[in-house]
Amino acid sequence: MRRLMNARARRLSVIIAATIAGLMVGGFLFAWSGIYNIAASRGHWAVVEWLLQFGMNNSVKRRAWAIEEPPLDHADLYVLGAGHFHRACLHCHGAPGVPGDLTAQQALPPPPELTHAAKEWKARELFWIVKHGIKYTGMPAWVVQERDDEVWAVVAFLKRLPELDAEGYRRLAGASAPSQTGRDIAMVGRLTELIGACARCHGAEQGRPASGLVPVLHGQPAAFLITALQAYAKGLRPSGIMQPVAGELQTDEITKLADYYAGLAVPRQTSRIATSATAQSLATDGDPNAKIPPCGTCHDVKALPIYPRLAGQNAAYLANRLRVWKNGLRPSSDTEAIMVPIARLLSDEQITDISAYFANLPSERERGPTP
Amino acid sequence: MRAILPLLPIPALVAGCREGQSALTPHSVQAAEIAQLSWVLFVGGSLILVVVIAATWVAIRGPAAIRQRLATQRMVVAGGIIFPAIVLTALLFFNIALMQSSARAPADKPGTVPIAVAGEQWWWRVNYNGSAGSPVATANEIKIPIGRDVLFTLSSADVIHSFWVPSLGGKVDMIPGRQTRLRVHATRPGVFRGPCAEYCGGPHALMALPVTAMPADEFDAWLGREQADAVQPSTGAEHQGHALFLASGCGACHTVRGTPANGTVGPDLTHLGSRRSIGADTLPLNRENLIRFVAEGQTVKPGNKMPEFRIFNDAQRDALAAYLLSLR
Repeated sequence: MRRLMNARARRLSVIIAATIAGLMVGGFLFAWSGIYNIAASRGHWAVVEWLLQFGMNNSVKRRAWAIEEPPLDHADLYVLGAGHFHRACLHCHGAPGVPGDLTAQQALPPPPELTHAAKEWKARELFWIVKHGIKYTGMPAWVVQERDDEVWAVVAFLKRLPELDAEGYRRLAGASAPSQTGRDIAMVGRLTELIGACARCHGAEQGRPASGLVPVLHGQPAAFLITALQAYAKGLRPSGIMQPVAGELQTDEITKLADYYAGLAVPRQTSRIATSATAQSLATDGDPNAKIPPCGTCHDVKALPIYPRLAGQNAAYLANRLRVWKNGLRPSSDTEAIMVPIARLLSDEQITDISAYFANLPSERERGPTP
Repeated sequence: MRAILPLLPIPALVAGCREGQSALTPHSVQAAEIAQLSWVLFVGGSLILVVVIAATWVAIRGPAAIRQRLATQRMVVAGGIIFPAIVLTALLFFNIALMQSSARAPADKPGTVPIAVAGEQWWWRVNYNGSAGSPVATANEIKIPIGRDVLFTLSSADVIHSFWVPSLGGKVDMIPGRQTRLRVHATRPGVFRGPCAEYCGGPHALMALPVTAMPADEFDAWLGREQADAVQPSTGAEHQGHALFLASGCGACHTVRGTPANGTVGPDLTHLGSRRSIGADTLPLNRENLIRFVAEGQTVKPGNKMPEFRIFNDAQRDALAAYLLSLR
């Protein structure tokens, strides 16, 4: 009896092994023969299409399951998201009033129009897709994996997308350009989208950045701006938003841009932000008990020009940058190596207070020459 | 022969107890007392060990009559209870009598030199009393006079550290929220090393300080110089280094008296150039090591709280080193 069982089991395993080997060889021969039509122009069979969609939906849902969603209905967040979307996502996906690029639409699958996507997916699922991208679809992953705060900004924008009309979108993305003559369009191309314009997000002339999470560049030392742009371009400073932008700039363009912003006066803050009395002492004397040096020594107008000036900076930007470090983002550039250990000593309250303090502080030019 | 093998490294290990960091070469009254007590313990303990081994041998191999006597109740009471009680009591009184100057000394004995030492992760904050009674701040190095009492007031800014200069005295813990004291009366000149003797995290092993005992008149002259402000930069490189020191924010953490640099987070650098070492005795002080500590301090002393200043180019590094070394 026992021997009989053994014989049957042996025969079964041989059959299974032969089947697996056959499938592998068959699969290889199928790929080798080139019988399968890889053409995007042909599309999938309906059943394959369904299976791929089914698999993708389940994979995204499963993997996004445990992601915690931060509050997303803040204008700073979705305006920043819109600014980035306009440069990085618009080309393929389109937006209200701007159809997706016709060439990009010939991909298989074609990049979806996102008004529906924002309704179909939960915020955490959109986050997962934007952060990780999707295999075999052409949807890329976020440029750096350690900046979840940036990804959430895009998700915040996607959640607003269904309510936007063409005008609303253009306003949010800062994409309203002056009308051009036929000659202009012929010679330099359409500017309506202003894709590469720094000012869409950072402001220019006397305009402050559209989102509080975006830094004011006006009046920063040129050396600091150059160092920052170079750090982005070399991939040293992690940002999925700024690395691609800076990477496109030529060396002389970086210098010109830095000189332009360095020459601007810091535009006034529209309103004062509440802050505590201890913020000023932190800025001027530090907190020796917590081994925190005073901020002013390095961020004052007398300090090295590769250090940023903080007077009049956006509070939300300062607080976010400090928190991202405090939450573990590793220092990567030479100046970050100095600042990050200090940022990690700050308490959450100190971060809020000191950010508001510097946002309220009049810039050196407003204060006039020191006596 | 095989039994002796594990003992072979001992001469090499004992040779490690070199001049400078050894409780066996005392250079102060207190260390001498400890050394004397140690020798009494070592020698006495060795003698007792020999007697015990002999008794054990006799108990196994000796003549039957003696073995019988060893096995009696009287012998157990005499050798196991009465003898240790007498020896330990005698040692206690000997210890109390011997350690007079360490254990009982009035804090306000006239002529005492007070020195406050605070352990911080991972360096030593040192304060002397200046001529006008004002504190004289320095760091990571101590100088003491020979022939005078020195009273160390020990504290900690963060975790438990321990102050131990074996050639000069006993080990005293530095405990957060408390002040402990240590009296030292140095008798011979020399430079002695004191490692932090309580694990205090990260680069604990690179936290030490050199203590120099010097003739009293030399000490007075040194303290006079130490309480003066920093010397002004003179050469071009020193001026450049001074400007760089201020502009790059070093003054946020470090004080150089007589300049706008007044930070208290890190060690006082007013007379850095006259010190023997950098990084709490991590490296000998010279131009090359100074530059390394500033630019790649996390490699030299991993985990230390000073951020790396990799931002400087070669010319800036040279200028900064020239300035810092000029602070004599």
